[in-house]
Amino acid sequence: MNPILRWLLDLLARFTRTLDPWLCAALAGLMLVGLAVLYSAGNESRGLVLAQGARYGLGCAAMWALSRTSPLRLRNASPLVFAASLLPLVLVLFIGTGRHGQHWINLGVFYFQPSEVLKLSLPMMLAWYLNRQPLPPRLLTVLAAAGMIALPFGLILLQPDFGTGMLVAASGVFALFLAGLSWWWFVAAVGGVAAAAPAAWFWMLRPYQKDRILTFLDPETDPLGTGWNIIQSKIAIGAGGMTGKGWGQGTQSHLDYLPEHTTDFIFAVLSEEFGWVGVAVVLGLYLFVIGRCLWIASEARDGFSRLLAGTLGLSMFVYVIVNGGMISGLLPVVGVPMPLLSYGGTYSVALLAGLGMVMAVRPQKHGR
Amino acid sequence: MRHRPRRLKNANAEAAQFRLRAALGFAAVLLGLAGLAGWYFKLQVLDHADYATRSEANRIKPRPVVPGRGLIYDRKGRLLADNVPAYRLDVVLDEAGDGKRLIASLSRIIALSPDEIARFEDERKASRGFRAITLKLRVSDEEAARFAVDRWRYPGVELVPYLSRVYPYGDLFAHVIGYVARIDQKDLDTLGQASTPFTHAGKTGLERYYESALRGEPGFQRIETNVDGRALRTLGTVPATPGADLRLSVDLDLQRAMVAAFGELEGSAVAIDPRTGEILAMVSLPAYDPNLFVNGISHADFDRLNTNPSRPQFNRLVLGGVAPGSTIKPLTALAGLDSGLRTPSDRVLSTGMFRLPGMRGRGWGDSHRGGHGWTDLRKSIADSVNTYYYRLALDLGVERYDRYMAKYGFGHPTGIDLMGEIDGIVPSPESKLKYGKERWYPGDLVNSAIGQGLWKVTPLQLARGTAALADQGILRRPHLVAAQRNGFGAPWQAVPQPAAVRISDDPRHVRAVQEGMEMTVNGPGGTARMIAIGAPYRMAGKTGTAQVVNRSTYAVDPKSLPMHRRHRALFIGYAPAEAPTIAVAVAVEGGGYGAATAAPIARKVFDAWLTGKMPEADPDAIDVSPVVPGATPAPATTALRRDAGDAARRATPGAANRPAASTAPPIATAASPLAAGAASSPRPPAPAPR
Repeated sequence: MNPILRWLLDLLARFTRTLDPWLCAALAGLMLVGLAVLYSAGNESRGLVLAQGARYGLGCAAMWALSRTSPLRLRNASPLVFAASLLPLVLVLFIGTGRHGQHWINLGVFYFQPSEVLKLSLPMMLAWYLNRQPLPPRLLTVLAAAGMIALPFGLILLQPDFGTGMLVAASGVFALFLAGLSWWWFVAAVGGVAAAAPAAWFWMLRPYQKDRILTFLDPETDPLGTGWNIIQSKIAIGAGGMTGKGWGQGTQSHLDYLPEHTTDFIFAVLSEEFGWVGVAVVLGLYLFVIGRCLWIASEARDGFSRLLAGTLGLSMFVYVIVNGGMISGLLPVVGVPMPLLSYGGTYSVALLAGLGMVMAVRPQKHGR
Repeated sequence: MRHRPRRLKNANAEAAQFRLRAALGFAAVLLGLAGLAGWYFKLQVLDHADYATRSEANRIKPRPVVPGRGLIYDRKGRLLADNVPAYRLDVVLDEAGDGKRLIASLSRIIALSPDEIARFEDERKASRGFRAITLKLRVSDEEAARFAVDRWRYPGVELVPYLSRVYPYGDLFAHVIGYVARIDQKDLDTLGQASTPFTHAGKTGLERYYESALRGEPGFQRIETNVDGRALRTLGTVPATPGADLRLSVDLDLQRAMVAAFGELEGSAVAIDPRTGEILAMVSLPAYDPNLFVNGISHADFDRLNTNPSRPQFNRLVLGGVAPGSTIKPLTALAGLDSGLRTPSDRVLSTGMFRLPGMRGRGWGDSHRGGHGWTDLRKSIADSVNTYYYRLALDLGVERYDRYMAKYGFGHPTGIDLMGEIDGIVPSPESKLKYGKERWYPGDLVNSAIGQGLWKVTPLQLARGTAALADQGILRRPHLVAAQRNGFGAPWQAVPQPAAVRISDDPRHVRAVQEGMEMTVNGPGGTARMIAIGAPYRMAGKTGTAQVVNRSTYAVDPKSLPMHRRHRALFIGYAPAEAPTIAVAVAVEGGGYGAATAAPIARKVFDAWLTGKMPEADPDAIDVSPVVPGATPAPATTALRRDAGDAARRATPGAANRPAASTAPPIATAASPLAAGAASSPRPPAPAPR
């Protein structure tokens, strides 16, 4: 073989050595679908696609960089990262901006959403902590872990941003679950939520959140108000049929009947234009990504790696099930994006960075 | 932690447990995503049809395409109702913002009346924000230009072109054509929801009667709209069917002549072609300017019309019932012949006083105190001899009399193509009980015989009966629309008419009555003989006076009453006598005796039709000049004929346009039956003494 070519291939292999080809292929597929749907949903706007592409580029770079980090370093940095990530979370309460609260910090170049970082730093922190404890976790361990979850969760609720807070809390719960938390805890938690729900309804939830829940229960009561989003979204999904109306042919989004069709409701655009076939393919890709994460976690050599990779993988499921359920009327409307499809910066970068960490803990095959 | 020994981590057990939990987690994920896919399968595949339909309904909205309203022509093709392009001002509230501020700033460049603002406020409250509300119809060119300059200041306000109805001859055809006005809920109820796309609907006259033909069928465009209702593209069009054009049998010149012939008098007249039933001219005076109504009449104008005691909006021809007076005599005579009770030469002695057999006290009089002497049928008509008819009616009996009168077209509508025509009343025991709340006396029949009492006929019914007499006893449906065409290039198609009815079996009977009517005008004692002076053709006719009597006018000085409640002068007639081409009925309110005021009007109408000679009144003074399209119909265009009458008076002082009453000596004798005891009082003929 040509030595130069050989040298180049060698170089490439060295650079991509830490990347998991299976995950990369699935992610590339999702990102391509995401950009394609975004192009259509954004009314053939190239600018929107380029902006999102740039974010994917940034996210992939973060993923690549993190995948090259050794698990040991990640583990050692975890407490520091967690502490550092709480700082902007406090800061955002004072200088944040946003439509329904203080969600973003204006960094001049772009808006930064501090709560997104917690989606990475909290699993890291819990993996670090739980790894130091004998597992399954004892009562004290669970309470300490619960405290670590409650702190950022509470701060995020103060913004208020229920969707992100729930995702963050869910990742914490997954960490505990994977650590072997006793089933009794889950039984107790379900009971506790059932008891707390009325209290939350009367004292904690904001009116717009109550609206979302009421609308979820019966969207037709207010077809032109808050129920509009769900009705139009279901129409878009249902009108897609088996094979869809075709790329760029979705009338619900192109004629603006579908709200937020580049962000939270982009999966409805996909459903309308590519039909159930498209939906099944994308859901299959998500399943593959999650499964691959769990596989990598199971193969990992130490507890920290296992817990981190497993938690990050399962977190993705929450995104998919909450977003997919919400736009189709299965779940109340919660501001959760569809991973790698919805338009948005911070969350995409955070997601890809998280997957980078998963790749980092992947046991390396020796040699080349 | 200090007191408890630290439990050691068991790496292998933890790894095993992790694998188990990971497997469980994956199973949960698999289940969750499969469930989600299943739910999407239900939405997308099982319920697809439903959602697909809703999606189409979302984006495709039918938008009505409103066709142009049919035009109306006179018999010679002159345009009587036209459509002119106009602009209206529409406001979409969602885009326009604060309504009150908008009105305030708009009214600085466009004149907005309080009526328009009030109407806008009402609609604003009732309407959804994204629908356009019309703020002002008929924006003038000047205002449109001003608005165009300042347009950027008013988002959501738009000048929308549309076709506005214009009646070029103003009040001349008010009671024939009627008018259109903005459609309202009542119209939608009666015309059906198919009218929804239309802004205007016919309210009265031909505009109303032929509404469905004139307006056409709206078409539809299938428009793809976005969520704001903005039209993006047209997906398909179902073209509109334009409204049908109407050609009337009415003649513009004759209509003008008829109005001019009335001069300043009030009343109504109709001219019919006896050979076809076509109406040649038809006026009810005073009239009003229908243009006032088209784009919303102002309160001031509306009040002026409504408080006018002469009721300009009241169509006397089809809605106004009067007693026929002596004009009923020719038909009563025909009934006598047809029933076989009389021959034309049978004679009755008129002594000036008639009493019911076996009764004493006051009787019924003739117009000559000493009577007319021996009277046959012809003389009875020509000289209007009451006694002849008293006798005849008694011989016929009320039932047979009424049967003949119904046959001659009284007591039921003529079927003219106008809305709301009344039945009229033929005196009978039943109708007296119903309307007068009194029982029938034999004397009532005596009154009926000369057209007084409980009678109620419309001028149109009289004209129709006259036309039948003129055309060998054939009764036809009087009608205004001769032909119709569906679109500009389409051929005119005659409007089918119901079959004519023969009202007399023997042409000789009709001929005898005709001779009597000819003698009325041409005979030595004829009541209308002065109108024959100088006529190059031969006329036939009959005069009459309708007493307008009811409790409220019983003891009142007639001169204090509005014209329409005083006695009416009547005349029926036709010409030329040998081969009639025109039959008329004229009713002049407060006109005194028929011969004095009504008959001269008929003569002028005959002249105009047969010789082309227009009445001497200055036609300009009667304001029949076309309304200039584009001008806002304002009070300035003399809505009311009252005003026009004043103008006429100013323009032609003296007798120029006065009816012949002042020029011709009042030789004509009254056809009114005057009760012997009350010759000069306006009392009604007393009920038969018991």
